[in-house]
Amino acid sequence: MAISTNWEQANRSLTITMDEKFDYSKVQEFRHAYTDTPESPNQIVVDLAETQYIDSSALGMLLNMQKFFNENGIKYHIVNSRPQVARILKISRFDKKFVISER
Amino acid sequence: MRILIVDDEPVNRSLLLHMLKEEGYTDCFEAEDGTEALRLAEKHQPDLVLLDVMMPGMSGFEVAPKLKTLYKASYLPIIFITALDDRESLIKCLEVGGDDFVSKPFDRLILAAKIRAHSRIRLLSKRVDKQNQELLGFQRNVDREHTIVEHIFSNAIVNNKSVSRFFDYKISPAATFNGDLFLCAASPGGGLYFLLGDFTGHGLASAIGALPVTRIFRAMSVKGLSVSEMAYTLNGMLLELLPPDMFFAAVLVEVDASGKRLTVWNGGMPQMMLKSETGKLVRTVDSRHMALGILEQSEFDSVCEVFDAQYGDQLFSCTDGLMEITNDEGRMLDEDGLQRWFLAAPHVTAEHLYQQARAYLGEAEPHDDMTIAIYRATPLYELKDNIQLSKTPFEINMKLTSADLQNEHVLETIMDMINSQQGLNWIRSNLFTVLTEMFNNSLEHGLLNLDSSIKRSPEGFIAYYDEREKRLAALQNGYISIAARYDPIGKALTLIMEDSGQGFDVERVTNPDLDSSSGRGVTLLRELCENVEYANNGSKITVTMKV
Repeated sequence: MAISTNWEQANRSLTITMDEKFDYSKVQEFRHAYTDTPESPNQIVVDLAETQYIDSSALGMLLNMQKFFNENGIKYHIVNSRPQVARILKISRFDKKFVISER
Repeated sequence: MRILIVDDEPVNRSLLLHMLKEEGYTDCFEAEDGTEALRLAEKHQPDLVLLDVMMPGMSGFEVAPKLKTLYKASYLPIIFITALDDRESLIKCLEVGGDDFVSKPFDRLILAAKIRAHSRIRLLSKRVDKQNQELLGFQRNVDREHTIVEHIFSNAIVNNKSVSRFFDYKISPAATFNGDLFLCAASPGGGLYFLLGDFTGHGLASAIGALPVTRIFRAMSVKGLSVSEMAYTLNGMLLELLPPDMFFAAVLVEVDASGKRLTVWNGGMPQMMLKSETGKLVRTVDSRHMALGILEQSEFDSVCEVFDAQYGDQLFSCTDGLMEITNDEGRMLDEDGLQRWFLAAPHVTAEHLYQQARAYLGEAEPHDDMTIAIYRATPLYELKDNIQLSKTPFEINMKLTSADLQNEHVLETIMDMINSQQGLNWIRSNLFTVLTEMFNNSLEHGLLNLDSSIKRSPEGFIAYYDEREKRLAALQNGYISIAARYDPIGKALTLIMEDSGQGFDVERVTNPDLDSSSGRGVTLLRELCENVEYANNGSKITVTMKV
């Protein structure tokens, strides 16, 4: 299993589905997931349903993604995070930068 | 062919004996009255009896039924040799249990032909008797084996009551063995898993696969694996195990500790329904995959549906045995019919649905297993209390030099060691975050002297990790030592990590701003651990996690 992406042309929405582990080993793969879209997205959804393990470099990667698009009105969502992962996002106050929700 | 001759007249006996000898029947013996006849019959087990009617003491009419009682299991031909020739007597010969009669003086050729005809029936009867005995023996063996297998099944497939009490379920096999399977287990992360599945067919052949599925389901539940991974692993195992024409349709569901978050994989099972407390259909979960044990691992799709229920919502699932019941008019219940039944009232129990199904079937017996499982969304936090913690203290020490550090799976080893201890698996997600944080800190700043400030720009962020890779590959000296100490009385896990580097300014990294792409690790450690202590200018860090 690895990272998978889904591009919806109609509303230019990109969904990135992470696998079990979201850590520094995913730096390149995660970057490709959002740089390789056909157009600039309106919305990016990161699906963490599978993710059990996360470290602070993953948090860095998520923020870095926002910096890459330079805040031009894109909506960022993190969906389906497990309780332990949700707690880490909360500790790091990610709710201020991402819409953390169910799908 | 053994023949018993019964006659009180010695002349008649020797006449018969002589004739039989000429016909090739040499295994003959004689009785001069009924009592002796019964005694000899018991002793020598004849295949045919030639019986006189008029004898002193017991008459032939009395002896015949007694002889027949001796031979309940098989056919013993009795031919009366009689001087009586009135119709009543001849009819009586047959009514008391005789099979034929010959009038005295007997016609030799006719008697010989009758003996041959009856011995044919006798042989046939003996063969049938033998086959019956074999069948009986076979049946007894099968029964005994079934008893053993039933015993194994009933011991192997038992759901823990503390978990199964969150379900309303009904299991109804069509035969002794069930090709349907319902399993549930607590998850180490709080919450629970359940599996409802249906092997092709029913009976023993389809039930046999339930054992390995149960084992794997339990093992994976203990590890807290994701539903996707469970589905993938089960598919691989069943693909290897099952013959090509057999497979296992199943739904796999994980419910998180809140009791509301549902992750569902449905492969080849009927539509699941989520019903609100007021009885409205909230959503359905249709089968999006092929059953387990069909697709190659490379083709297998483990994508799940994730959704949230409200407390009081009921998630209904059943096997196709219920949906495919047919009434007197030959109409199948089907998905629509079932939906009507389930949505008929806010609370419809599994037992009620089962009784409704039996009524629908009328006189007919169900020809497939039927299983219903209803989960009602409730907080599951109490399941956590069932987790037993290991009572054995331990300490793990490792010193990792450059070659070990270049192995990207190096932390997994210590994680696996810790997680293998009973109950500690529960904190595995947090343990991963904490250990990775400590480790990356020691490695990136202590040994590789990387500067986090370059991570601030998007390009710098990537450059930082490129540089990390480069420096790590070139690393020749230095080490990181890790100690993990578990205290079962204090229920605490202490982790100590020390590196051979120069250390860093701890104060500077403890309060990062919100946008910063680095420095978040220390905050995480302080939140996830009871205690965090730096020593030796940051090159040694000790943390304690509550278990």
